[in-house]
Amino acid sequence: MKNKRMNGYLLAGLILTGLLVALMLLGKFWTPYSPTEMNGAAKLQPPSWAHLFGTDNFGRDIFSRVMRGGGTTLTIAVLTIAIGAVLGTLIGAATGYFGGAVDDALMRLNDALTAFPSILLALLIISLVGPGKTYNVVIALGIVFIPSFARVMRTQFASQRNVNYITSARLMGAGSLRIMILHMLPNTLRTLLPALTIGFNNAVLAEASMSFLGIGVTPPDASLGYMLSEAQGMLVKAPWYAISTGAMIALLVFGVGLIGEGLQKLEREVD
Amino acid sequence: MKYTIRRIWMLVVTMLIVSFMTFLAFELVSGDPAQTMLGTEATPEQLAALRHELGLDQPFFARYFRWLGGFFTGDLGSSYIYRQGVWGLIAPKLSLTLLLALISFILITVISIPLGVWSYRFVGGPFDWLRTTFNQLCMAVPPFFVGILLCWIFGIILHLFTPGDFPALRSDPGGALRHLLFASICLCIPRIAMTVRMMRSTVIGEMEKAYVRTAISRGNDRRQVLTRHVLKNSLTSTVTFLGQTMAELVGGSIVVEQVFGIPGLGRFLVSSISNRDYPVVQAIVVLLAFWVVLAGTIADLINQRVDPRLRLGGGAK
Repeated sequence: MKNKRMNGYLLAGLILTGLLVALMLLGKFWTPYSPTEMNGAAKLQPPSWAHLFGTDNFGRDIFSRVMRGGGTTLTIAVLTIAIGAVLGTLIGAATGYFGGAVDDALMRLNDALTAFPSILLALLIISLVGPGKTYNVVIALGIVFIPSFARVMRTQFASQRNVNYITSARLMGAGSLRIMILHMLPNTLRTLLPALTIGFNNAVLAEASMSFLGIGVTPPDASLGYMLSEAQGMLVKAPWYAISTGAMIALLVFGVGLIGEGLQKLEREVD
Repeated sequence: MKYTIRRIWMLVVTMLIVSFMTFLAFELVSGDPAQTMLGTEATPEQLAALRHELGLDQPFFARYFRWLGGFFTGDLGSSYIYRQGVWGLIAPKLSLTLLLALISFILITVISIPLGVWSYRFVGGPFDWLRTTFNQLCMAVPPFFVGILLCWIFGIILHLFTPGDFPALRSDPGGALRHLLFASICLCIPRIAMTVRMMRSTVIGEMEKAYVRTAISRGNDRRQVLTRHVLKNSLTSTVTFLGQTMAELVGGSIVVEQVFGIPGLGRFLVSSISNRDYPVVQAIVVLLAFWVVLAGTIADLINQRVDPRLRLGGGAK
């Protein structure tokens, strides 16, 4: 009974996220209507069976726009987390395993970087690399997410430095690289997986914020955040635009949040 | 006292690194400000004169320290776009953003701490999953989406305030405060959810400790143990978390100001980034970072007063 409920979060999260991701991936290849084609005859229609989420004031089908825009948001978030997690793990593993002066210096730099709220750091970097390009958003957000992953992973690798099984492996002649990848990395997964879900959600929200502010994704690309800023302008005439777009972001973050919650519960069960 | 001095010294060092990184970064990308200000048709003489006037002909470190000193003297250079002193442009906006953060901070503290303790009662109960799910849902809703909904319901339908038209604080303080209150609500919702979650897990962790078991097995009332001992011991992590909240509010206000049309620092930062007005961006970034570091320092100093162990142990963890 107890065990069943523990995995309820995980199951619900996986189903919800799976459905949304499938919809967004499908939107990359096929949408019921063209997400960009304007249709003067179908302006500002409230939700109906023909247009599930209604249409905007150019007559564009919002459901199709949400599918396509969700795909863009998803791509950016996944790439961002990939950059942050891979580079963060590399830095964290190297500093945590070897320690020493490089470790100290990098951690001081890390402290200084955490002085910036993540959105501020992203804005700073986007201001440096140039606003309004999709791949610059990925670069800016990717860099922003490195320090937090590096910190988490450094702690994980440093705590294993002098554990018995690592010392044994070393005595058996295993090289540093082999120890790090084969013996240490698998033990960090229980921390890394929940960190990935939290990071993914932060990336979705950060991208949405930046695009909403007009310094993230810009046309012809459209992400959910950009669409929300577009929807704010039509709030009086087409409130369904803002509601369906915002709900899409919230549901995606909610689903992944549930997965994270489920993973943590599972860990506690194992302990 | 020794700890206080060391903590403030850490603050100074962090700010030196932060300001240097910011200055260096913009130095690398900003090109020639004199050229930017005068445009492409300027004569070399005009350029040289303006460069001299802006102090651009001086070495890098001289310029850095002059700029750093500007945070104390109020001379932070002038904006490329507005051709005015940066400090004069920023100061009135800073007070608005501070006010917004302060209102949000008070709301979060007053609501989430009692709620966190109260939610402890449901641990392991049949409705625990409902609380967790609701909590996750609150954290998932982006603040600017809540902001848009609030604008729609309270602004456009109920006419309680006019989105995008912020009343001046001097002439209409009531209207301005009402506007700020609605803006702070959407900043608060996810943060309250996070604080409640944190409070709850801290209380759970504390209740599992031996001293609580001893106190209860000796016949003390469970609720009394909770309010008299457990809450006191949970205080330090709560203060640290609230310090982080103050810092997070900075980031959140950038977006929320845009939604509600509040002419604060965040909104100015965004427009300055779009305009590539680097002196303004530089100054705002360092000011906001200072805010974050200051919040962390104050939280640590409070903790050190509250918890004698930190004082005797001689430092932060």
